[in-house]
Amino acid sequence: MIWRIASFAVAAGFVGLWQLIADLKLISPVFLPGPDRAWTALMRGFATGDLTGKLIGTLEHMAYGWLAASVAGIALGALIGSSRLMRIYIAPSLEFLRPLPVSAIIPVAIAMLGLTQGMALFVIAFGAIWPIMLATIHGFAAVEPRLYEVARALQMSRPAIVFKIALPSALPDILAGMRLSLTVALILSVVCEVLAGLDGLGHWVLLSARAFRSADLFAGVILLGATGYVTSIAMSLAERRLLAWQSTR
Amino acid sequence: MTLLARLDEAKVARRQQPLITFNGATLRLGGKTIIENLDLAVRPGEFLCIVGASGCGKTTALRLAAGLYRPSGGAVTFDGQPMLEPRREVAIVFQDYGKALLPWRTAAGNISLALEACGIPVRERPGRIAELLRKVGLPGHAEKYPAEMSGGMQQRLQIARCLAQEPTTLLMDEPFGALDAMTRQGLQDEVLSLTAASNTTVVFVTHDLDEAIYLGDRVIGLLPHPGRIGIELDVNLSRPRDQLATREHPEFLRLRRQLFDFIKATEH
Repeated sequence: MIWRIASFAVAAGFVGLWQLIADLKLISPVFLPGPDRAWTALMRGFATGDLTGKLIGTLEHMAYGWLAASVAGIALGALIGSSRLMRIYIAPSLEFLRPLPVSAIIPVAIAMLGLTQGMALFVIAFGAIWPIMLATIHGFAAVEPRLYEVARALQMSRPAIVFKIALPSALPDILAGMRLSLTVALILSVVCEVLAGLDGLGHWVLLSARAFRSADLFAGVILLGATGYVTSIAMSLAERRLLAWQSTR
Repeated sequence: MTLLARLDEAKVARRQQPLITFNGATLRLGGKTIIENLDLAVRPGEFLCIVGASGCGKTTALRLAAGLYRPSGGAVTFDGQPMLEPRREVAIVFQDYGKALLPWRTAAGNISLALEACGIPVRERPGRIAELLRKVGLPGHAEKYPAEMSGGMQQRLQIARCLAQEPTTLLMDEPFGALDAMTRQGLQDEVLSLTAASNTTVVFVTHDLDEAIYLGDRVIGLLPHPGRIGIELDVNLSRPRDQLATREHPEFLRLRRQLFDFIKATEH
């Protein structure tokens, strides 16, 4: 509890420092608005509904891309992770693709799909799939072999083995991967919006910067930060609920 | 002879037929012969103990009987059929209970796994689970996760899950090896009464010679490299067995001496 209060105090200190720098005009107000002006811009944005629309746009990009990455990543990861042969054959190719900067495939995606929502979905999903898929592969490969023998002794069917043994066993790894991907999805949503002019906070930030509306710019940035923070907390809550059994260890 | 009498005779003959047989069973793994030419017959309802120095293939023999391994030569049969895959009427209790239980399921959930595999309808499961938990002395622990239970409780839970399969045969691989002496004795007596009540056939692997004699109708000692039978002892001690009286019985001490001498000889 004390630590929580302390951490809030530190955050408040930073905001105060920001206000001080803005008030002293150490940096021109054209580039750096104070927290007061940023807050006013944020409230105005919500009142007119401009910012709300952009926020929803970004949340949609992020959610669709992340969900697509999760479904594909878990399915592929399960397939590769549950077979030693698949791991041996496919792992090297994955190691080649994984460190590839996603920004490098954006031009390819734009060339193939145009400046469309489909392009954004592809890029976000492509970037966000790696942490999930690699975590799932690891999770499936690390299932206690004894549990597979228990399943054999019970003559469990193949789907039953996947859903009752392998998947729950790999779940902590999968959720950790999904948490990492959440950040990747947010970053790529903004990048796609900036590059393709798609409706969203990325686009808002870009236009505000070009028009020297620094208060609006900062309002957008604050909202992006808040989005990352809130989704991460939601993910933690989901993890704690799904992995309640781990807290008993 | 009437038809009925003939049927009865056939039934008796069937009952006396061995339940599990090893006919010259050989197992090679990775170029090493683990078990060679093993001949063994387990009678229905019998409590057979297998002992031997470490590396003599006693666990391997049990895995062959379970259908977890297929013999490289010879045959292993169950009820007259070749044992090529595990079957539900044969349950296995593993030594490492911590690894054999699902940590994300409660005690009730772990037992449910076996009931689900056996196709028991959902509404019958809670009753069966409560009954099984009571049988192994874990009533009131249904909602506990394995990590919240002691080693002895976890092994009881694994036994309950095996009993949920309603097996005719229980294969136990050093089930009490990792438990303290007191817990161990309690569980020995519980396994004896549980299996006697249901007339379950048991093959029990252990490295504890006293335990083998205390539990078994028959004790088999394996010789190592490769595993084969070195000694076979019939245990003619009355049942129910008693932790003090049985262990002090002259016959118990005689068998113990014989078995210790055998094991000592194999270790050189």
